[in-house]
Amino acid sequence: MELCLFLGCNTPAIRPDVERAIRASMPELGVDLSDAEGYVCCPAFGAFPSTDDDSYLASSGWNLSIAEAKGLDIMVQCGSCYSSLRMGRDHLAHDETKLARVNELLELTGRKLECKTKVRHVSEILYNEVGAQKISQTIKKSLEGLHGVVQYPCHTLFPSEIVGFEESPRQPKALRILTEALGATVDTYSRELQCCGGAGGFSKSTPVEATAFVKSKLDAIIEETQADFIVVSCITCLMYLDNIQKKLNEAEGTDKYHIPVFDYNQLLALCMGFDPKQVASICTVPRNSVIDRI
Amino acid sequence: MDFSESDKDLWKAIYNTKDLLHCFNCSTCLSGCPASHGNPPLLVRNLARMVVYGLEDDLLDDDTAWACVSCSRCEEMCPMDVKPFEMILSIRKWQSANDETRVPPSIVEIYKRGYTQSVGTNTELRESLGLPELQTITKMPEMLKLYQEMLMKTPVVSENDYMFSEE
Amino acid sequence: MAEKKPTGTILVAGAGVSGIKAAIELAEIGYKVLLTDASPQIGGILAKLDNQFPSDHCGMCRMLPMVGREYASQYCMRKGLYHENIEILPFTQVKSVEGDAGNFTIELLQKARYIDTDRCNGLGECISVCPVEVADEFNHGLTQRKAVYKPVPHSTPQMLLVDMDACTRCGECVKVCPTNVINLDAQDETSNRQVHAVILASGVKLYNLREFEDAKSWAVSPDVVSSLAFERIISGTGTFDGKIKRPSDGKIAKRLAWIQCMGSRNRRQNRDYCSSICCMFALKEAVLAKEKGGDDVETTIFYMDMRTFGKDFYRYYERAVDIGVKFVRCRVQAVMLNPDTSLSMRHYDSQDEEFIVADYDMVVLATGQIPYETHKDLADLLHIKVNAQGLLPTETYDKVKLTKPGVFVCGSLMGLTDLSEAMSSGIAAAGQASRLLAGLDVTIIEEEAVPEPRAKDREDPLVSVVLCKCSDKVEKSSVDFGALEKGLKKLMAVGEVNIIDMVCSDEGKETVLDLLKKSKCNRLVIGACHPFIYRNALKNLAKKAGFAASLFEIIDLSSIVHKGFFEPNRSESGAKDQTREAYNELFAIIENLKLKPALHVETLPINQTALVVGGGIAGMHASFSLAQRGVQVHLVERSDKLGGYASTHVNHTIDGLEPVSMAKDLAIKILEHKNITLHKNCEVAATQGSLGAFETKIKDNENQENIYLQHGAAIIATGGVEGKTAEYEYGNSDLILTQAQLKTGLDTGEIDVSEAETIVMIQCVGSREKQENVKQDGQKQGREYCSRICCVGAIANAMTIRQKNPEARIFILYRDMMTYGFAEQYYTQAREEGIIFVSYTLDTKPRVALVDGKPVMTFLEPVLNSEIEIPADFLILSTGVDAETSNRDIGKAFNLPVNQDGFFVEADSKWRPVEFMKVGLYVAGTAHSPMTLKDAILQAEAAAQKTYAYLSGRKIHTAHAISRVHDAICVRCQRCVDICPYGARSYDEVLDRIIVDGATCQACGMCGVACQNNAAEIMGFSDKQIMAVIDAKMSKNTIGLAAQ
Repeated sequence: MELCLFLGCNTPAIRPDVERAIRASMPELGVDLSDAEGYVCCPAFGAFPSTDDDSYLASSGWNLSIAEAKGLDIMVQCGSCYSSLRMGRDHLAHDETKLARVNELLELTGRKLECKTKVRHVSEILYNEVGAQKISQTIKKSLEGLHGVVQYPCHTLFPSEIVGFEESPRQPKALRILTEALGATVDTYSRELQCCGGAGGFSKSTPVEATAFVKSKLDAIIEETQADFIVVSCITCLMYLDNIQKKLNEAEGTDKYHIPVFDYNQLLALCMGFDPKQVASICTVPRNSVIDRI
Repeated sequence: MDFSESDKDLWKAIYNTKDLLHCFNCSTCLSGCPASHGNPPLLVRNLARMVVYGLEDDLLDDDTAWACVSCSRCEEMCPMDVKPFEMILSIRKWQSANDETRVPPSIVEIYKRGYTQSVGTNTELRESLGLPELQTITKMPEMLKLYQEMLMKTPVVSENDYMFSEE
Repeated sequence: MAEKKPTGTILVAGAGVSGIKAAIELAEIGYKVLLTDASPQIGGILAKLDNQFPSDHCGMCRMLPMVGREYASQYCMRKGLYHENIEILPFTQVKSVEGDAGNFTIELLQKARYIDTDRCNGLGECISVCPVEVADEFNHGLTQRKAVYKPVPHSTPQMLLVDMDACTRCGECVKVCPTNVINLDAQDETSNRQVHAVILASGVKLYNLREFEDAKSWAVSPDVVSSLAFERIISGTGTFDGKIKRPSDGKIAKRLAWIQCMGSRNRRQNRDYCSSICCMFALKEAVLAKEKGGDDVETTIFYMDMRTFGKDFYRYYERAVDIGVKFVRCRVQAVMLNPDTSLSMRHYDSQDEEFIVADYDMVVLATGQIPYETHKDLADLLHIKVNAQGLLPTETYDKVKLTKPGVFVCGSLMGLTDLSEAMSSGIAAAGQASRLLAGLDVTIIEEEAVPEPRAKDREDPLVSVVLCKCSDKVEKSSVDFGALEKGLKKLMAVGEVNIIDMVCSDEGKETVLDLLKKSKCNRLVIGACHPFIYRNALKNLAKKAGFAASLFEIIDLSSIVHKGFFEPNRSESGAKDQTREAYNELFAIIENLKLKPALHVETLPINQTALVVGGGIAGMHASFSLAQRGVQVHLVERSDKLGGYASTHVNHTIDGLEPVSMAKDLAIKILEHKNITLHKNCEVAATQGSLGAFETKIKDNENQENIYLQHGAAIIATGGVEGKTAEYEYGNSDLILTQAQLKTGLDTGEIDVSEAETIVMIQCVGSREKQENVKQDGQKQGREYCSRICCVGAIANAMTIRQKNPEARIFILYRDMMTYGFAEQYYTQAREEGIIFVSYTLDTKPRVALVDGKPVMTFLEPVLNSEIEIPADFLILSTGVDAETSNRDIGKAFNLPVNQDGFFVEADSKWRPVEFMKVGLYVAGTAHSPMTLKDAILQAEAAAQKTYAYLSGRKIHTAHAISRVHDAICVRCQRCVDICPYGARSYDEVLDRIIVDGATCQACGMCGVACQNNAAEIMGFSDKQIMAVIDAKMSKNTIGLAAQ
């Protein structure tokens, strides 16, 4: 199948190794990717969706129209991009007035939107289209012997009727099954469904409390599991959980927090034999402890 | 609380949907909200109440809506289908429209280069990872101009056009 | 010769308590009832509940008939049901219902049990050999059961079955079965039956953690359980012998939390209704947890509104508060499993403005109803459509009557009901069915004639002893039947001893019958196993053989020799003990039988006329219901017109009803009905007599004369009045009104709200608080109860105002919104219309000040935790419902109890909601407690049915065992009259004697305890007999056995 890759901004700008992992791994599984040339910000919830519907939905419409012109569905890795695009599309698909207004705006740019394109998350593609079986058959190396924990991107879960794809949105399992398909043992823990806390204004406006919030999650991982790594499927979760550990160590004067964090496609690409220097090179917490064991 | 200044129709200006009115203050939204851990906490239920009462001044001064992490747990769990996350966004929109200092600077970045980040400029790094050059809108001035023209027709940009002018 | 008329037959589909109640009611009139249940058991949810609010005990037996109790059923309802006119069909689905009222053909599918339950002896040999273990549904999977099992472990009729999904067909059970009744190849059976009416009592599905997607996430640990599962945990017969232990690790749980509204009050899930019963359920469980688990048990209930709306519910809530149950007003989002396996929840405390995270050992989820699917399926079955709400369509005012003629509903199909409403609705549905059948050309089942006493019964006692040796099981057991027989034969009073094999089998029964028919004995004792199972079969056997019921005893041989009954390898001395024990028991029974008099029942004369006190909606409805069935009715009304409160105050209700016009129509029907005599301007002065023969003096205030009415039974339906208050400046401003004043003013146009900016309503004015707290001018003004109608009433008024003035701000200040059941939708609708609801507590009551004659309100906004001050154009007070002041006088006249609130006290708040302890007297409507119009009509229908059951013309017999008076030694102190809980004893001034009402007496023996002269005696339980039994037990008489 072919999908239109929507990269967002953090992935290509800050964590391009994740982009590389996606571009490397997906075609191996029969998912060809086509770039969304001239895409703009998803738009981020803190931007146009917080100012007015016109600018919000016009930006969504802009992006959707790029894929629609190609006749492709959109695939996204970033949770926020996924949720923003999908909610934007939902507004447009269910409200003719809004769609008409967006088309009015798009018309100025020579674009048109029928809202045919669907917005899909990379983990959903892997889970529903590719399937765990194909993944485990395709990989050349395995995570056997390694324990991991999963961080579900909230944006792919709630509200389930708009963004969800899990059979049981309050008991998600896709990422777990995908990770198990790589041979890893996935441990559960009490705060598995707790948000990383990295998105929105929370971590910026009240950093002390936000740090305590994520600390409770990391402590639970350390105390309750044998996790060698955390696997995510959202750029915000990845960057936040990776970077915050160093800050926590500095604040507490310890080195207690050193669990490597991977995007799922990074682990997938590693298991497919791609070069770690290309697909998993950018991180704050060193990943050698895991990469060396694959 | 001075109620004489309250505007009973404020909810229509902020979040004009009966979804909001269904709220029965059950507090489900508070119980699992990540940003409710903040200081001051984001109290979604309280914001809903303030909107219903029409406490305009208090609402204009309230920063907490911006702390929302957009996880939409409240949306999923709300038994009355108030769609609290939509309400949070609506409060932000209303605040932005009524107080220009609330307009998020990120939209200026987006207007100017299409993104909040500088995307596609890290060519060396990308090359080292074996990545192709990215066809960003920043590199397509004609297209960016069209995008900007479109945005100029939207309220937030047209009403605050001074923020978007080229220096 | 004319064709034989068919017997009136009714299908009751669903054998939970409301269905059982409906079935008993109809069977008591003499109709034939088919009582089906889709599950393999009967008893429904109640089979799982050991303890019921408010007594915290079981009281199931109280639903049995009070008169003729020896015939109707066995004694313990938890164990099962038996009635000659009820055909019980468990594990049976109703596949189709065709035809019309009075002529339905139903298709029944009886699922294979693989065990012939008529012949199974219920001892469960098969269970002990079955190798399969699966989770036991009865205990919610907290325990295991076998593939062959009893669906309700404590039921005693032969309810065993094989779970074919679990069965491995190993055949061990077949081999071991002593009665040869297991057939693993049995098939489902379909049959067609003709019935005249159908009562649906199948209940609704309950929200559960396994099935519903949004519910699954709560099940983070086995220690998160549903409220029904928790019932099994605290049950003495449940999973942990009544100890509160965690299912996960069996550790004692000390910190318990309940989460209310699980799956209910949820618009997002299309479940915008309240499940009505869960608040009381949780309260009861929390109280029980404290009582059973000890003082250090912490109980917390997470709730939104504590819906304690029923009679005495609020006092129970106060009791829960007093014993330390904690209440947190917050709906939590999730339960988290801590690493130490405890459970944690986070909630916001609005008052202290902080989040609290607390740990619990167990969390109980108050899982509610899931009605729509069930209603849809039933509607399809009946070829009708569900209504706009998705429910079965009912008649406008009759909750139990479907718009499809001939079909009635009761119990939780009306929305989850508490026990009292399950009972009232069961009776009312039966009443409606009986009204239908009364107009059809059908007959009732004639009772078997009570056998005439035999001459030889009065001769010297001669006892026939029949002992069952239960196949070869007992041969191998420790009891030496030979020695037993020899020993018993040596007793003077024993005429014969027969040892029979398998009395439970058909052959066994025939053998015994042949023997007994030839017998010269006049008294009989049968020793067999499980008397609960065989009681009725053996009773019939004795009756057929001509033995008087009072001269027949059954002895449970299996439990006497229980320890060794089926253990072949007992030591010789052990065997001797067993034999001796059996002998001793039999000896004591024979000693008792020797002294037993031949008792015979009396048939009571019944005056087929009813008296109804009160001409409001309930009284009129009850009168009409009876009159329609041919009963003569005297309707007594104090005022000069019919209609009562509703007909003058309630023009229209929120659900679109128009009570005023309904009352008018009904009044016309009453006036025109030939069977009803209306006594206007009359008051009850005094009454005497008992069931079937009351005489009541009424005072005609208009003509200044006394009228004496003869009647067989009476219904009290006196109604209520709007409560009064002097709180919140009431009376000091024209702008401060009660809800009734507002309603009338809005209807007449005398109150103009079109210019109003702000209207404030206060709920629970003077209600739901300790009476001593609300004194006005030294008078107690408080109502320590919920008046049930005010919340919906306030919403209705607010919506009317909204229509007249869409711009007005309307605040409803409430404590707990009592919009239970489907009325929740009105609450949602009101919020949708912009009406603002603000909760307050007794500590934060709103305040009102009059400024220039205008009320200025100050109240705490609990969400924002700050005070709001706002001038109001109108202040409306919901002052609740007060009891009719004449209740106390009427209570005195009928010798009926009235509670501290002035409402009548029914026989049992759960199981007998419309009856009084004294048989023949009933209560309906607001005389009982405040209730809605539809509930009052429901009760009226139920009270009429209870009345009709006795006045229908069927013979009423007293029991054998009733109390009597030794006149010669009675000193007329009347202690017995005062103590009798049933009002069965009275003092007749003319005769100067204590009179016992044979129908009312339940032979409880209280009079015997109270009487200091031994002048009160229960027949068949004389002192002599009791002493003889004690002597026999003490003597360790082993005359016969000593020779061994």
